[in-house]
Amino acid sequence: MRKMVKQMGFVFNVDLCFGCMACEIACRNENQTDSTVRWRKVSRLIDDTFLSVSCNHCNSPECFRVCPENAFTKRGDGIVHINSDLCTGCGLCIEACPYGAPQYDPVTQKASKCHMCYPRQDRGLPPACVESCSTEALTFVDLNTFCDKKMVGTIPGFPDTRLTNPSIAFYPAKERNRYFLK
Amino acid sequence: MEIYRHACPRNCFSTCGMLSYIEDGKLMKVSGDAKHGYNQGRLCAKGYAYTQYVYNPYRLKHPIKQTPRGSGNWERISWEEAYDTIADKILELNKRYGSNLASGYNKFSGNIGLLHYAVEGMFNSIGPHTKPIGNPCLITGEQAMRKSFGQMNSMMPEKMAKMNAIVIWGANPAVTNVHQMKFILQARQKGAKLIVIDPVFTRTAATADIFIQINPGTDGWLALGAAKLLIQSESYDQEFVRNQTVNWEEFHQYVNEQVDLHEVCRQTGIALDVICELVSIYSMAEPCATWIGFGIQRNVNGGKNISAINTLAVLGCHSGQENRCVYYSHSGIDDFPVNLLNHEEPEHPIVLHSREIDINNFAENASKLVDPPLKLLWIALRNPLSQDQDFQAWESLMNELELIVTVDLFMTKSAEMSDIVLPAASHFEEMDLNVSYWHHWLSINEKAIPPYYEAKSDLQIARELMKKLNDRSPGFSNFPSEREPIDWIRMELTPSVKKLYSVECIDDLLEGPRLRTEEVSNSSSSSFKFRLFSQGNKGTSTHFINRRKTDVEESYPFQLLTPQSLLKIHSQYETMPWLNQAAEQEVVELSEYAAEKNGIMEGDKVELFNQNGKIAAIARISRFLPQKVILVKQAGKNPINRLIVHRPQENKEKSSMNFYDSSVNIRKWREKNG
Ligand code: SF4
Ligand code: SF4
Ligand code: SF4
Repeated sequence: MRKMVKQMGFVFNVDLCFGCMACEIACRNENQTDSTVRWRKVSRLIDDTFLSVSCNHCNSPECFRVCPENAFTKRGDGIVHINSDLCTGCGLCIEACPYGAPQYDPVTQKASKCHMCYPRQDRGLPPACVESCSTEALTFVDLNTFCDKKMVGTIPGFPDTRLTNPSIAFYPAKERNRYFLK
Repeated sequence: MEIYRHACPRNCFSTCGMLSYIEDGKLMKVSGDAKHGYNQGRLCAKGYAYTQYVYNPYRLKHPIKQTPRGSGNWERISWEEAYDTIADKILELNKRYGSNLASGYNKFSGNIGLLHYAVEGMFNSIGPHTKPIGNPCLITGEQAMRKSFGQMNSMMPEKMAKMNAIVIWGANPAVTNVHQMKFILQARQKGAKLIVIDPVFTRTAATADIFIQINPGTDGWLALGAAKLLIQSESYDQEFVRNQTVNWEEFHQYVNEQVDLHEVCRQTGIALDVICELVSIYSMAEPCATWIGFGIQRNVNGGKNISAINTLAVLGCHSGQENRCVYYSHSGIDDFPVNLLNHEEPEHPIVLHSREIDINNFAENASKLVDPPLKLLWIALRNPLSQDQDFQAWESLMNELELIVTVDLFMTKSAEMSDIVLPAASHFEEMDLNVSYWHHWLSINEKAIPPYYEAKSDLQIARELMKKLNDRSPGFSNFPSEREPIDWIRMELTPSVKKLYSVECIDDLLEGPRLRTEEVSNSSSSSFKFRLFSQGNKGTSTHFINRRKTDVEESYPFQLLTPQSLLKIHSQYETMPWLNQAAEQEVVELSEYAAEKNGIMEGDKVELFNQNGKIAAIARISRFLPQKVILVKQAGKNPINRLIVHRPQENKEKSSMNFYDSSVNIRKWREKNG
């Protein structure tokens, strides 16, 4: 796939996320999605840290590759977009995405997913989930230009990134001392 | 799209500034108010779900009445009919007993906006009646704070971002005060240490640099043990102690002679080297914030625990200047006249005062009333049949009542047991003025949308019902029904409030929330001297009451803790699909020990029981829970408070409800006994 002019992506700082779910519900507030549709999901990992994931607007999106209707496009800013007019609701993208990003919407009977709030971005606003994160655990940058040596490509508990090359980067958690009762 | 300014009125630390986005009179979405310096343009998950709260299929649309009570046989009535029925009853009871003492209310924190004191104002306006007093939530701690510091207010919570260490005792801001987390983590990003002391491995604990698990209710032991080590190593500010405290000699002697470190370790379950680690934080980091959560005082040792923690914090603070670096709660409301709450009662020729009953034991006390008995109960901003305790007492009280009226947005457990239910407005449908019990901001809440169907605000109901009473019986109530919400708000903005919050008029608040100016006099220059922990009554040999010994029965070996869950506040928010993804079933968390002892496996259906009743739940086994602790989160449908009965102590001092002093047992569910 050709190199995008920009590749907007999420940066997730594990150390700053405490699983409050504001991002997940802020997404629903902004996009008024159906109750069963979760474009963003916060989950608790086994080491008791949290992870907030949506569509990662991958460099090699599997959804894009498997869709028989060619409903997916990748915009110049790297956002992977699904054209709901073309979607027939076959569900292949839902199965193919390693991150569970596309969701079946029982009302429209189509797949839908995070569009990185491009309508907001086009107005110069950050994505709703990013805006809602009080500790700035979740931010977004142009990954083509942003780089920080402390950033890593994945963390334990995140799905295998080799297949799709997702546009997300991480800061890992610092060490902690925990003294439990015997 | 129109945008309006709001304040989230939930019983929550944050009282967030909020914006609503309105199209054709409909709430399209919400956002945080960027002009609010505490929440800084963000909300919590619950806050972001408000469109689902306002347009919720379960929201009450019209006044309804139920005959007979509890049958579920509801019928829609008009406001007119509702007011008539209620007014008839009030007037008839007044005639029967010669006063309004047979009428009363039970109200708490469902909406903490100042105009919601309309309920109190309404009852005051009819003269002596029956009213709840006290505060189930935080008063024990408030009294302990006032005793230690001479006042309640702490520094602006935003200042936590500048601390070198933050020690949190039994608070869980990651769940209950999410906006505070940014200040805490900002400090941590700059190298500050976050220490969390809690019996439960909470989300906040998971974020901490150091988590110290403690046996529930033994925080005072830990604080005194740490204070002893601090004194032994002479790493406290001796000059401060000499000049700014009152009872140093007594405390010093007490710690020397009575606080045995082995006993501290045994009681708290914490190893000595871990206590030393805590002491090293208190003795070097400067400045260091101590935050005492409300959970600390939900047990019989609550006040003492807080006094001991205050003492440790102040000794370790190294400074006279910042001895207010202990955070508990800020009583913003004290700045205001709160005219509705303090509305003056008209005089009654014979009955001089209203009849007061302790809200913490409301049902039992209310059913004991004679001359006259309580006959009409108005329930508003509260769901006692889910959030109070001693449901059996509630049941017998309700049997005695001739009319129960509930005002709510949803059909709560309490509404289900009422004769008349009146639909309440959401904060988008009414005006209000809001301060917080944590941060120091003042916000106005605008009316953005028309009421949902026939919903009305508490103030509107008060205005109309009192007018109805006066139409029937002129002069019955002195409520100024003609006064509009905005007039009440204007009356709250007294000259001193205007100065304190730098506002000139309401318009200033419409432009954005205002911060209270910090008082210049800090405590070092004031004459008040800090009161160190003191043992209290001498005669008693054990200074803390030991739960296990006084526990009534061996048959209930587990202590029940019932904290808030992330996506609810008490029983509120239960009908919002966005916030209720998981299975409907109640979950009980138990330790591996408890599971093994009772042959319970993960996911089993279990029953939690004690002498007060039982509830069914699904077992979740936690490797981090103390052996003898069982944890169930607050909820409304199958309320855990069914198992809680708390008899307030005989002493007259007001206290919070000791929700965490309850004992239970657990076993696998058996259909037969179910
Ligand atoms: S970027 Fe927008 S659409 Fe995507 S998860 Fe965040 S809020 Fe939802
Ligand atoms: S809003 Fe931020 S802190 Fe909260 S769950 Fe999402 S990423 Fe984590
Ligand atoms: S519940 Fe608390 S944190 Fe959430 S929006 Fe309301 S005030 Fe803010």
